[in-house]
Amino acid sequence: MSDLSVSMSAAGGLPHAPVLPEAPPKVTVRNLNFYYGEHHALKNINLTLGANRVTAFIGPSGCGKSTLLRIFNRMYDLYPGQRATGQLMLDQTNILDGKLDLNLLRARVGMVFQKPTPFPMTIYENIAFGIRLYEKISKSEMDGRVEKALRGGALWNEVKDKLNASGLSLSGGQQQRLCIARTVAVRPEVILFDEPCSALDPISTAKVEELIQELSEDYTIAIVTHNMQQAARVSDKTAFMYLGELIEFDDTSKIFTSPTDRRTQDYITGRFG
Amino acid sequence: MRRIRGTDQQKNVCYSVQGIGVAEMAVQSDVIDDAGPYDRAKALSAFKLGDVTFYWITRLSAISVLLILGGIIISLIVGAFPAMKEFGVSFLWTQRWAPSADPPVLGALGPMYGTLVTSFIAMLIAIPVGLGIAIFLTELCPQWLRRPIGMAIELLAGIPSIIYGMWGFFVLGPFLANTFQPFMIKIFDGVPVLGAIFAGPPSYLSLFNAALILAIMVLPFITSISVDVFKTVPPVLKEAAYGVGCTTWEVVRSVVIPYTRVGVIGGVMLALGRALGETMAVTFIIGNSFRISSSIFAPGTTISAAIASEFAESDGLHQSGLILLGLLLFVLTFFVLAAARLMLMRLEKKAGN
Repeated sequence: MSDLSVSMSAAGGLPHAPVLPEAPPKVTVRNLNFYYGEHHALKNINLTLGANRVTAFIGPSGCGKSTLLRIFNRMYDLYPGQRATGQLMLDQTNILDGKLDLNLLRARVGMVFQKPTPFPMTIYENIAFGIRLYEKISKSEMDGRVEKALRGGALWNEVKDKLNASGLSLSGGQQQRLCIARTVAVRPEVILFDEPCSALDPISTAKVEELIQELSEDYTIAIVTHNMQQAARVSDKTAFMYLGELIEFDDTSKIFTSPTDRRTQDYITGRFG
Repeated sequence: MRRIRGTDQQKNVCYSVQGIGVAEMAVQSDVIDDAGPYDRAKALSAFKLGDVTFYWITRLSAISVLLILGGIIISLIVGAFPAMKEFGVSFLWTQRWAPSADPPVLGALGPMYGTLVTSFIAMLIAIPVGLGIAIFLTELCPQWLRRPIGMAIELLAGIPSIIYGMWGFFVLGPFLANTFQPFMIKIFDGVPVLGAIFAGPPSYLSLFNAALILAIMVLPFITSISVDVFKTVPPVLKEAAYGVGCTTWEVVRSVVIPYTRVGVIGGVMLALGRALGETMAVTFIIGNSFRISSSIFAPGTTISAAIASEFAESDGLHQSGLILLGLLLFVLTFFVLAAARLMLMRLEKKAGN
């Protein structure tokens, strides 16, 4: 029990917000199974992502949380031998439908990766590039959209004087916020964060976390993290996964104070993982 | 016995720590050194000798490059000097090549033109095809087809140029003269500029045939280097591009190629260097004509082909003229590669680096 109290104080006290009312479901996962070739990586997952809520996925390495995230935008499709069964509904669309237009799906479900991934072009182009894939707009309109996206990524004030510099010239934290701005620019409905802060220093991490909070006003957010304090700070709901199974899924405050499953408790108190 | 010594030393250490005296500490350290398994200073000096030797060997290797390059340039200039003195700068824009006239007239315009035109056409064909193969291999190819195509490319690079020459002479030349050339001549007959470029009659030996052989010969360079650099693109960067909704083509055009730009252009330059200097295959099928014709289906010559076909039976001023041609090729290659590098720098600037 002393373990628990220590970890909670390290987590910066209680989770960030009072428990919000139940949100209407944006993404519904039913009986989802996933296979890497023969390996059965996800077993019978059922959960919902509430609209305009932040849902965190935690669990030890290899538990399948990143795998689950990569199903939401069908990223696994790039690799042969990986397949998913079951149902994954984004509003009324089944994401796992083989006939689905993947480019449109990925416009609706954006993703931010573990490492910052600016494209090899200028800061301006990094943002404009994604917009141009879907819309034909004038230069002045584009300028407005780029500014709005960079403001959305809390980066505008730092880069407004060097929009023509390479995206790679920014610091790691700025690059990550550029990637968030780029994702926001195409106006998705859902944003997936795959350990977005694991390559960042504490100050950049704080900025990105703050940003995630703000984004949840307009977007449905799923975030995979290794950092339990982070999950406690930013999320409304938390899912604990272990060995490909969803062990526990509940309000974040509940998961971190009174988990019902023994394994969840062991994990969040640092007994394993 | 040992134990007793050990305790002695410990005692000494205790004393020195208590600050009995620097001298005693020095004595103490001596004692420890003597007891050590080897002489450290001696070992270090042996390392030092190794270091110095290594440094000089690598340094001499590097300097030898400069010496060889300088030696080649000097001997080319010395050999070309009589021709330079005789023909002067007009060597560059004289088209006539008549070594047995009296007095002999030699001009480099024909071979220079042939060299540039064949290389240009070869790159025009080889760059898109080579990049296309590389993109297919890295982004689209099913796993089982990857190895066969990859190995075919490697084998293509391993074919000696004389074999390309023979194949071009006996197979490709007649084939092109009977099918492709009449077709193109007919299509562009009467069209302004293009009609003159694709003018008849069809020929077994022509600039275009040589350029096509060159394209096939440099293809493996472009492809294998592009494949290698395409593989260096981090998968997560490609995923990010797919993640905003790019198609494979958009990922390749906007992420993979810009990311690998320097490497790809490096491969292209290597290929261009080879195309400019390639001798044997070109000599077989270019026709060795010093006259410049507007048609790419007409025979021509390149600098290296001219040297290869005439050097053995040349002497005096003629030979000096051929050496001057060689020097020109040297300078030409240098300028073309320098221009490519300049272009690369401007591209970098545009990308905001």
